[in-house]
Amino acid sequence: MKNDLKYILLTFILLVGTLTAGAVGLAATGVSGEESQQVEDELAVRVDSVMQQEEREDKAFDPKRTIFEHLGDEYGWTIIGKVTIPLPVIVRDNGGEWYFFSSSRLADGKTYKGFHIAGEGAYEGKIVGVDATGDEYRPCDFSITKNAFSVMISGLITMLIVFSLVRFYKRKKFKAPRKGMGGLEMIVEMLYKEVIVSVLGKESKRYAPYLLTLFFFIFVSNMMGLIAVFPGGANVMGNMSITLVLALCTFVVINVSGTKEYWKEIFWPDVPMGLKCPVPLLPVIEIFGVFTKPVALMIRLFANMLGGHLIVLVLISLIFLFSVMGQVVLGVTAVFSVLFAVFMNLIHVLIGFIQAYVFMLLSTIFIGLARVRKVKS
Amino acid sequence: MSLFTPEFGLVFWMLVVFLILFGILAKYAWPAIVRMMDERADFIDKGVEYAREAKRDREKAQEDAKDLLTEARKQQLEVLQQTERLKREMIAEARKAAENEAKQVREAANLSIEQAKREAELQLRKQVASLSLQVAEKVMRKDLATDKNQMELIGKLLNELENKE
Repeated sequence: MKNDLKYILLTFILLVGTLTAGAVGLAATGVSGEESQQVEDELAVRVDSVMQQEEREDKAFDPKRTIFEHLGDEYGWTIIGKVTIPLPVIVRDNGGEWYFFSSSRLADGKTYKGFHIAGEGAYEGKIVGVDATGDEYRPCDFSITKNAFSVMISGLITMLIVFSLVRFYKRKKFKAPRKGMGGLEMIVEMLYKEVIVSVLGKESKRYAPYLLTLFFFIFVSNMMGLIAVFPGGANVMGNMSITLVLALCTFVVINVSGTKEYWKEIFWPDVPMGLKCPVPLLPVIEIFGVFTKPVALMIRLFANMLGGHLIVLVLISLIFLFSVMGQVVLGVTAVFSVLFAVFMNLIHVLIGFIQAYVFMLLSTIFIGLARVRKVKS
Repeated sequence: MSLFTPEFGLVFWMLVVFLILFGILAKYAWPAIVRMMDERADFIDKGVEYAREAKRDREKAQEDAKDLLTEARKQQLEVLQQTERLKREMIAEARKAAENEAKQVREAANLSIEQAKREAELQLRKQVASLSLQVAEKVMRKDLATDKNQMELIGKLLNELENKE
């Protein structure tokens, strides 16, 4: 019991710490060169002075822009202020030539080899080239952006976690793992025995690797997204491109493993003739359903993760929005915002787990539905 | 907004990373983990079964031991009884043998006594005979000196003979 409390306290302190760091980071995007601070009240005072400075410079805080900057992708990985980890940019221009250079060459609106990061407009924040007529165009962009890099880190961490369990099993074959490893095994066992085996039965060995990888990758990415500083903090699962790939994989797995019975139920379901013959009403609905299933998966995960990040960012932004009303209001807002943000982050830990679980669970069920056999009557 | 419109580059990298991750984990990690988990579950099941069997065996062994003990006790009792009987028999036999021996010794003694007695009698008779002969001689010498005495004696003897018949 005492140990539990210790852990909870530790988590709380860590979250407060990371959030404070995040808030400072947010402040630093407005004003560069500010040092990071830990104590909230100090932060509030400092932010106040920062805001006054900003007002002097006639550069008001724009919460919408700041929030979406934080949620969106970028070419380098901004840690704090101007401190950015450069990431590789890989683009192909109109002429079919490939370019490979560091993102630091494009920082501060610089142009390198005819490419620059677009400002306002259709391609805002993206790398664009200028063609012969002087118009901006979007090159074929394979850059390893912040999100792509974050996905790689999450993949590596997932691998590390899973292989640690494999190594444990190889070394101590018939020993039950304890502590962290025990928790990991408990999750694997829960997913495998309670979900995969109970839905897929004999075929579970065939689909378990995909489903377990899916769960652990989503879960690790979600948890990484909660860490405000460098290796984490990217809004990975709250990005449609990422969830699109996962949904696409599930879509492929579902339809590749579809049995004859599955396809028959789609194109020629067992309903009265009127519903399918002159006007193929039910087949159309069924075909529509084939696509809506993965799309629902995609949107669900995306919206949940985006929502969590958004709430925390909005709460932190409140500090800056209220700062114009004086120091007392600012201080109170800072304390309450951070407290609420910590609360939301804790809930987000839960949501991160649940969404990974739901994505996996529904994938399992859809695969199970695609593996239907004709019931012998 | 880039959040809602899939970015081709990101989709590409995500696909690459996810497929590589899936490939590696599906080949080297998950089957091993699932197999190990199953194996351990089997092992534990077997262990429980084994323990149950061992318990059953132990109970059976205990019962056997108890049976054996009662059997042994019964045999002990029997053996004891047998020895008792044997002892008594042996004592009886010994007594009988001793009696026989004693009887023989007694008989032998009796015999020798009888013999000695007879010999003694014989000797006595011989002595008595010789003594009486001597006495008779002496008497004869003295008494048969006269005819009268001889006549009287012959008459007496004849009377005696008559009386005897």
